Amino acid sequence: MGDQPIWITFIVTFAIMTVLLLSMAYTTWYERKVLARFQDRLGPTRTGKAGLMQPLADAVKLMGKEDLVPDAADRNVFLFAPLITFTTALLSAAVIPWGGTVQIFGTDVNLYPTDINVGALFILATGSIGVYGIILGGWSSGNRYSLLGAIRSAAQVISYELILGFSLVGIFIITGTMSLTDIMFKQHEMLSFGPFEISNWFVLTQPLGFVLFVIAAVAETNRAPFDLPEAESELVAGFMTEYSAMRFALYFLGEYISMIIMSLFAATLFLGGTSGPGADKFWGLGIMWLVLKVMAFLFFYIWLRATLPRFRFDQLMGLAWKVLLPLAILNIVVTAFFRLIGNGQVF
Amino acid sequence: MDLTTNHFLFVSAALFVIGMMGVLTRRNILIIFMCVEMMVAAVGITLVAFSHETATINGQVFFLFALAVAAAESAVGLAIVVALSRQGRAPDVEEMQTLKN
Amino acid sequence: MSWELVFFAVFSAAMLLCGLGVVAFENPVHSAVALVGSFINVAALFVMLGAEFLGVLQIIVYTGAVLVLVLFTIMLIDPTKLPEFYVGAPLQRFASVVVGAILLAEIGVAIITRTALEQIGPHTEAMVQQMGGNVQAIGQVMLSEYALAFEIASLVLTVGVVGAVVIGLPNRMVEPNTVTMSLGHTRGSSDMLAAGPKFESPMNIPAERYTAPVGERTVVMTKDPDAYTHPGETSK
Repeated sequence: MGDQPIWITFIVTFAIMTVLLLSMAYTTWYERKVLARFQDRLGPTRTGKAGLMQPLADAVKLMGKEDLVPDAADRNVFLFAPLITFTTALLSAAVIPWGGTVQIFGTDVNLYPTDINVGALFILATGSIGVYGIILGGWSSGNRYSLLGAIRSAAQVISYELILGFSLVGIFIITGTMSLTDIMFKQHEMLSFGPFEISNWFVLTQPLGFVLFVIAAVAETNRAPFDLPEAESELVAGFMTEYSAMRFALYFLGEYISMIIMSLFAATLFLGGTSGPGADKFWGLGIMWLVLKVMAFLFFYIWLRATLPRFRFDQLMGLAWKVLLPLAILNIVVTAFFRLIGNGQVF
Repeated sequence: MDLTTNHFLFVSAALFVIGMMGVLTRRNILIIFMCVEMMVAAVGITLVAFSHETATINGQVFFLFALAVAAAESAVGLAIVVALSRQGRAPDVEEMQTLKN
Repeated sequence: MSWELVFFAVFSAAMLLCGLGVVAFENPVHSAVALVGSFINVAALFVMLGAEFLGVLQIIVYTGAVLVLVLFTIMLIDPTKLPEFYVGAPLQRFASVVVGAILLAEIGVAIITRTALEQIGPHTEAMVQQMGGNVQAIGQVMLSEYALAFEIASLVLTVGVVGAVVIGLPNRMVEPNTVTMSLGHTRGSSDMLAAGPKFESPMNIPAERYTAPVGERTVVMTKDPDAYTHPGETSK
């Protein structure tokens, strides 16, 4: 993990941004296709082969529409709010590793934009700034549906962010670090049980933490069954009601980006990141494994949306504070206890 | 010209004074509350700057405790504002003159 | 001029401008947004001082939790009441500027004339790196040297939460205002509507006919579609 010239970092960052933005567009296609299959439909088929050009057509449509600002809106805040959601969602990608240091054309290249000491907390922090996009957007629309959506979202995201953070503490206790690169490489070690050898993925040692993390991640990205901020059957579209054209698209894409980021985050923390057969031989395989894990997660997201009905709001808050939070604290206590045994400080 | 601790101290003093002016001029209890938070952050910059200068970590630990106390204070303060608005009263410091009701 | 100085100038200028915005904006929501900007820049200064853990914590705790709660509260109270009490009396404003200037000058003199402290502590940058980083160093000091203070801080938080719950419980002092909000109207276009009629559905009230002055159109005030199509007749 040596230092590298800044231009290589720029190139790596540029590549990651490009991949993220493209995959964000195609996640919408993926979701529509998978959701259609769940509902015994075909999904988009007309634009391009198997509807593959559909995201481009959508983009052109959204950019061509009129950008409306309601009379009752607080103009500056209204125009500014979608940008917050979108940029903070993209910003979290800065600390997620796509591999270690590799040799490309004879130069050492770090396959991550940056490796900071508090990487996991950094993602939580950008997520907590991203809430402002939703709250301010809902408030500034000057519409009561939007305001209700915004207030719901504030309460929901604060509660579930707590659980998201608490579910990670177990991993921090085990590894003794918050750097995502270090956490990922801890999982590349192999555990052997007699003849069997399996990767030391933290989903094995932290199963409860993993379940809590997945629930909190779904709530944090405002996806079904926790999509109360935009519950279309009661609040029209929640905080997005008054938005149109590209600003609507920024919210929409911000949601997809944060889905992808959460999947990357989960894959890195609990599923070994780039670890997989052959990943230590060739870095390309590692990236492939990471992408496969992310796609599995996105499929899970869509599966949830196709299957589960929406929670009622009091059920949602009750679940967070009365069930998940005690479980998360239990997880921390048990993990700390086992760590003490491992250190030889107990017994 | 190098970056020294004094630069950070000046900036934190300026932020502190801005927060103090806000507390002195505004009447909305929420804005006063935000200005107090700003003053706490300014003190935090000073603590961390000194901890950087003397190569001790204690200043950072102090600010962590300040953070905890500020969070508790914000919970109580906002609860008071909510209780006020339940009674249909504006959160105006100049109207809050009596302790009873 | 080093790059560090440039970054410092940008961050601190943004921080102070946003801080001025908090004081100067008329709308409390705008003030809160300015405070978010200010705190993000405070976090950047923390990172420049080698305290990245505090920087991230500043964002998570302050902007992520405390300020969201403040915004939440601002949105819950009636916005029409807010702009009336923007600032205090002119004398108050004048006094605050004078006191602020004096305080700033005083601190400035103190900073200029102070003697810089030597590097005396054990946590030099190399040492912190050896301990594994800023987080690990803070953890070791906080949970050994300041363990008692840590416990007291947790006690303070518990007391604060219990106090907030007790204060915030409904129905403690007076009857709450029983009002409903109309979802169908944009904010500001309708006042808080009184609670609807308790005994009779509006559909059962016979239509009232309002006769406008001669030369204007007749306006039919109706609660019933039949009354609209047959003005004057009231359906049972």
